[in-house]
Amino acid sequence: MFSKVLGLALASTFALSAQPLNLKIDLSKDSPVTVLSADWGDSNAVARGGAYQVNVRASLSLRNSSQKRIRGVTLAVLAQEVTPGGKGSVSQPMDVAPNDSFSFRIDLALLRPLSAGQGVPAVEVRLDGVLFEDLSFYGPDKLHSQHNMTVWELEARRDRKYFKTLLETAGREGLQKDILASLARESDRRQPGVQMVRGKATNIETGHDIQFAFLDLPESPVEALEGTAHISANEARAPRFEVRNRSTKPLRSLEIGWVVKDEQGREFLAASLPAETNLAPGKTATVLEQDTALKFRESMSIGGMHGFVSNVEFADGTYWIPSRGTLDDPRLRSLVAPSPEEQRLEQIYRKKGLNALVEELKKF
Amino acid sequence: MSVHPAEFALALHASGDLPLWQSVRVRLHASRCEACRNILAAYRADKVWTKAADQIPEGVNWDRLSAEMTANIRVGLAAGECVAPRGRKPLLGAVASWQWKPVAAVAALMMVVSGAWWLNVPAAQNDSLARALRAIAHRGATIASDPLGRQQGPMVEVTPAGIQLFENGGALGVNQGGLQPVGVSLDAQGSASARYIDTDTGQVTITSVYVQ
Repeated sequence: MFSKVLGLALASTFALSAQPLNLKIDLSKDSPVTVLSADWGDSNAVARGGAYQVNVRASLSLRNSSQKRIRGVTLAVLAQEVTPGGKGSVSQPMDVAPNDSFSFRIDLALLRPLSAGQGVPAVEVRLDGVLFEDLSFYGPDKLHSQHNMTVWELEARRDRKYFKTLLETAGREGLQKDILASLARESDRRQPGVQMVRGKATNIETGHDIQFAFLDLPESPVEALEGTAHISANEARAPRFEVRNRSTKPLRSLEIGWVVKDEQGREFLAASLPAETNLAPGKTATVLEQDTALKFRESMSIGGMHGFVSNVEFADGTYWIPSRGTLDDPRLRSLVAPSPEEQRLEQIYRKKGLNALVEELKKF
Repeated sequence: MSVHPAEFALALHASGDLPLWQSVRVRLHASRCEACRNILAAYRADKVWTKAADQIPEGVNWDRLSAEMTANIRVGLAAGECVAPRGRKPLLGAVASWQWKPVAAVAALMMVVSGAWWLNVPAAQNDSLARALRAIAHRGATIASDPLGRQQGPMVEVTPAGIQLFENGGALGVNQGGLQPVGVSLDAQGSASARYIDTDTGQVTITSVYVQ
């Protein structure tokens, strides 16, 4: 009797317990990044209904084996590439000299169907891209990491230049005052829960279309002319924008910030809408995300929507991002999160103080 | 004369149920004792009468009789509960001695399963299970979707606490070593990102999960 009960107990325990993972890093031979060591920690897979929850916790030691300084690395982590939630990425902005080593931490959870192959669940880590100091790029870029890392790098240069100029013109006190104001804005910024689902609506929906109002950024090379989204209760779906290229260069892609206002007039940045478009100077185009829906807390009703052009990539590979002057607009300032670099500098100030921040700014 | 046998020994001897050596002793005594012989004769007469009365009477509705007896027994038990003292019954006293092993085994099994559950199942999964159970209890539905009442299907949510994936009523949190993100964002083409800062090194890490 006892042996049967013990067997049942052990079976229950094993059914809920974690399984090891078959992990591998796949870097091509000409990769500018090489692996020195990999510690997979307690990476594991746990059966959850019809899928594994794949927990990848790794500490990698990598080396810049190229001849150029690296400014960003993105690794793709694949538990099951075609499964929603089976694919993730980890990106790190950085500044690493040739032949220097750097650590790279992966800590994320993914999904993998139980039916996806027999045996031990497998996870593959691949290099999606490396951004260099001269903004050249290496990698397959399947996750559009080139665009993201280039924007982060341009924002980092913009913000370091801004703080260095501030240090020179307003002194240490001026720098400190600005950093403290930035920290205060961050603590005030709203980020209510937002859900996003992809896929066409299958039911006949009620609701109505609502017009976007646009924040006009005079220096933006793209002008948003008009836009709508379909609103149903606390859900907004199928955004559509009409944009015009008012620059002298053809566009490759652009990104629009989607701002939602609740019934009390409070605004927050709900999502970004990237779009690839080959748009010649002076021409207009429609940006449509028919299969995207955002949903907010049931207690919230949508009172209005705004949009603004947050960055643009030209066909020649150059980019436009808003300047610090544009971002000083109080309304935009309350919506747009600081760049990763500004947050890094704030962290240095918070952790080590003003002297450390000043020393950090002198490095660039 | 020897001592008279006990009356129950005489009764058992009369019915043939006394062990052999005691039966010999009773018979020997009765051959010399008139009083005991008379008692034995009376018991034997009763035995004959009882045997005759053991025939099933005709015309009795046994089903009804059985139902009445069962009902009477239940009424008696209920009445006994009403008048029983309110003192606490000892826990083990309520369990027959032969039942304690399976009870202990089941308790141990529950402890092991609970421990395994607590160690392995994340809080988000427990929340989903609780929601599902509440839905079953309240509406007879199968699986509740998520805190926002969305229909089922793969979706991603960002909150100040980070990213959560939802699929088939289950929730899966995506975190960076337990750190609180300094920012989260949604990309309308099907990904969610969370930005983390290592408080010691200042290293910024952006973690993204793709639902498309």
